[in-house]
Amino acid sequence: MATFDALKSTWTPDDVLHFGRRAGFGLKPEAAATLAMRAIGTTVDAWVDGSADEAALTAALPLANVVDYPGYGNEPDQWAPHPFNLRVEHPADLTEAQGYWVWRMQYAPNPFTEKLALYWHQHFATGAKKVDNIPLMLKQIQLFRSLGRGPFGDLLLAVSQDPAMMIWLDTVQNKVEKASDVPNENYAREVLELYSLGIDNGYNQQDITELAKALTGWDYIGRDFPDPKNPYYYNDAEFIVYRGQANPYPDHPWLHGYAMLPNQRKSGTFTLFGVTLDLGADSHYGADAIRLILTQRAQACAGFLAQRLLHFFLSPELPANVVNDFRDVILANNFAIGRSLKVLFKSAYFYDPAHRFALVEGPVAWSVRIARLLMPDLASAMAPYLQNPANPPRFGAWSAFVNWDTSGFFNMGQDLLNPKGPNGWKEHGGWLNSDTYRHRTRTAYALAAKEGRGDDHNHVPRFLFDTDIHEWFPATPASALDVFNRLVALLQPAPIPTGLRDAWLTLVWAKPFAWDGKPATEDAVRRLAFLILCSPQAQQH
Amino acid sequence: MSKRREFLQTLAAGSAAMTGLACGGGGAVTASSGPGGGPPPPPPTPAPTSPILVIITAEGGMDLLDALVPIGGANAGAYQNLRPTLKVNPAATTDLGSNIGLNNAFAGMAALHQQGRVAWLPGIGMPNPTLSHFLAADLWWQGSAVPGGTGWMGRYADLAFARSGDPLRGISTDGLPLGLQGVDRNFVNISSPDTYRFPSTRSEWGSVEDPVPLRAGFTDGFALSGTPGSSGLKAAMESGQLYDQAQSLFSNLIGTSRRTPSVPYPGDATYPDATLRDGYRHLSYQLKFIAEMVAKDLPSQVFVATTGGFDTHSNHARDFPLLLKEMGASLSAFYADLASISTAKGNAQDRVLIIGWSEFGRRVRENNGGLDHGTAGLGYAIGKGVKGGLYSNFPDLTSLDSNGNMKFTTDFRNLYATVLDKWLGVSSRTVLGGSYPNLGFL
Repeated sequence: MATFDALKSTWTPDDVLHFGRRAGFGLKPEAAATLAMRAIGTTVDAWVDGSADEAALTAALPLANVVDYPGYGNEPDQWAPHPFNLRVEHPADLTEAQGYWVWRMQYAPNPFTEKLALYWHQHFATGAKKVDNIPLMLKQIQLFRSLGRGPFGDLLLAVSQDPAMMIWLDTVQNKVEKASDVPNENYAREVLELYSLGIDNGYNQQDITELAKALTGWDYIGRDFPDPKNPYYYNDAEFIVYRGQANPYPDHPWLHGYAMLPNQRKSGTFTLFGVTLDLGADSHYGADAIRLILTQRAQACAGFLAQRLLHFFLSPELPANVVNDFRDVILANNFAIGRSLKVLFKSAYFYDPAHRFALVEGPVAWSVRIARLLMPDLASAMAPYLQNPANPPRFGAWSAFVNWDTSGFFNMGQDLLNPKGPNGWKEHGGWLNSDTYRHRTRTAYALAAKEGRGDDHNHVPRFLFDTDIHEWFPATPASALDVFNRLVALLQPAPIPTGLRDAWLTLVWAKPFAWDGKPATEDAVRRLAFLILCSPQAQQH
Repeated sequence: MSKRREFLQTLAAGSAAMTGLACGGGGAVTASSGPGGGPPPPPPTPAPTSPILVIITAEGGMDLLDALVPIGGANAGAYQNLRPTLKVNPAATTDLGSNIGLNNAFAGMAALHQQGRVAWLPGIGMPNPTLSHFLAADLWWQGSAVPGGTGWMGRYADLAFARSGDPLRGISTDGLPLGLQGVDRNFVNISSPDTYRFPSTRSEWGSVEDPVPLRAGFTDGFALSGTPGSSGLKAAMESGQLYDQAQSLFSNLIGTSRRTPSVPYPGDATYPDATLRDGYRHLSYQLKFIAEMVAKDLPSQVFVATTGGFDTHSNHARDFPLLLKEMGASLSAFYADLASISTAKGNAQDRVLIIGWSEFGRRVRENNGGLDHGTAGLGYAIGKGVKGGLYSNFPDLTSLDSNGNMKFTTDFRNLYATVLDKWLGVSSRTVLGGSYPNLGFL
């Protein structure tokens, strides 16, 4: 644990900004200055515990989806606050679910909760295209919010019994009808390779075969089921093991089980990592097999988690001894993820300047962070609406952002809630190629240039991100250099060379500087913000 | 035919497979009669002076045995025994000879085969196979005697493409797999020709008017940032600069109007089978886009398309025929479309070679409705310059490894060596870091 033993005793505003970028979605400089006055230990504890009141977020949700539902005929477009459509009967679609989650990321009073959920979504990558049920996808994300800080063993078992995951990696198809049937090993392989141990790290094909056997007959029952004619449309689901028992909920269907079969679960014993257990109630119908991963392969599992967590929260390139030291932190904390991350965030090592801007930021977190920095917070965004309900709240129009661009997040290389495979996205340098970079510049334009389009029948312009440059400048800038410095302080790119800064200022401010409120001045400010966001430095965090 | 098969099998069962030697060249269907007893197919066209390579990867692990089906001999018995519910009826296949039937669901491929334009590589794989998708795909893409951090096509780009000013030489239409990353050069990836310019705005207006001067500032971001001091900054500089260099060249060449293909592609309104999709970035979409880039004479030598969905652990009987159909229909539409394209350097069909693979094949024995991860898979090469036929010995289904998987018969690097030496005209030894014999289909 040596690496993480030395505590950070005091922190500077720059340290706080680094913490905010990694453990959340960024902090404005003013907020960082305030936090820097507080003790690091209690501040990190409260941040990780997510102790801020979320009532305002919940209250805003019915108005959160600022979207342009097209009007037909003479009806005006409905550019108005709506709740997100997240229930199957609407029907829910991926763009609204993406918009909903990203809206939460932007306004969450506890950003760490959402950042950690985003981490777990990357870790347990599950895709909506195959799951084909948005409420179940969001149920899984909610699992990450509620159990993401807790002991990893509890989370791993809960994910293994999560309906979206059970569809995604075919646990619901892992049924045996007769003794000779071969179990489906999709989940058994990936839970070891991708979710707990890493490729070929402490298991072999025989372990996969046995684990697949232990998980046979797992299923779930659909709940909150609005359309009896369509058994695949339901808003919730409950895990169950099918052992030939009667359906305990006669009004709800078995979704993938076939209740006419006497049993869909193997009987006898299984042997995993050298431990032999009965397949029945003694092993909690296979649930203990998932527990064995942590008890029998604790070192390997903690090492795998250390690698993944450090890669996400600290740096992609760390010496083996550092990873091993964080593995030991996880072991010492009995796999409690929140407690382990508190050790990381309080350590002097985390704040080593070499780690600042050492990571390419993923496109979803990048977009959310810029929106948080350039847009008003939740209370300010609600203010116009509270004054007059005819005014929409000034929220980021995330569903429209996704829709207008066929899919903003898809094109930037992170189709939120819909990764292509169970290994999620390749992080760091893997986020960037010439096409995802191109689409980042499109997002930068939407955010910095107040991109909008058209109008409704009242000829009111509509913006994706309704920014006001005066909110970016708490103090009046006296020069173009002042403008640049403030934008850099706000947007927090990696250091930008002075030669590049001067070239941009020459390009953008051909005329003598004046903070005169004229459109040309706003135009210049937005151009500069746009160029900063398009720079290679701004892709780091 | 049977004698050749025995010869191939002997060679593969001996040292050839283990040492990565090819089973060299004897499988062409260019003898006195064509496949199925028809007239012999026309001979392959000679290698063009300006060759184009189109690479297609099928992600997820494409099953070999339900695509090229064992329909005779000991293999057929083993296949039918281990796949009691999923087995493909020999009557639903086209005889390729050597006891192999081509699944008729692989739309259009039988016709291409009968024209003598498909080289089949059943059993392609690697020594010490991994059953991990992600490791297997990376090993395939690295394509090296000693896998390192670069891909075989990236190393080819290092060798053949200019360091800068040549951004369109290699284009991927979906992502940037490891295989396209070199030391000095990566491929550019362009998922769609729409609004491919900088700044690339999404709507008709934003508050910044006259965005053209911004281009200089964007370029400055790469020109004036010095040497990147971190791996993240390096990745951002390389990818952003490639986009910056490509955008003006590409948008000028591709123009504003889209090409109308000479034949309908799956998913087009005019395509005869309306059940075939054309989702955004579907293979059909990507190949249509590649045909357009060829037709508009982009200075591109290698195109890479990516398709997926082949991880059929469950519902294999439902999904696999559709996957085969979509892939075959897209490939055959593309091949037919190329014939109508006159480029500055010759007819496109004469210039294009298509090769494809998947990271592994699937388990021989079915689970309850699907197939788990396996080893040996299916490789292929299609083109007017291809001598059609079988160029890899079919794996022996009566002699599986301890996990019940097939033993591979042709080292995947032999396919690369053939293409590098005989189509792209560079030394495969330099790119692959080892000597891998040519398979003989070019």
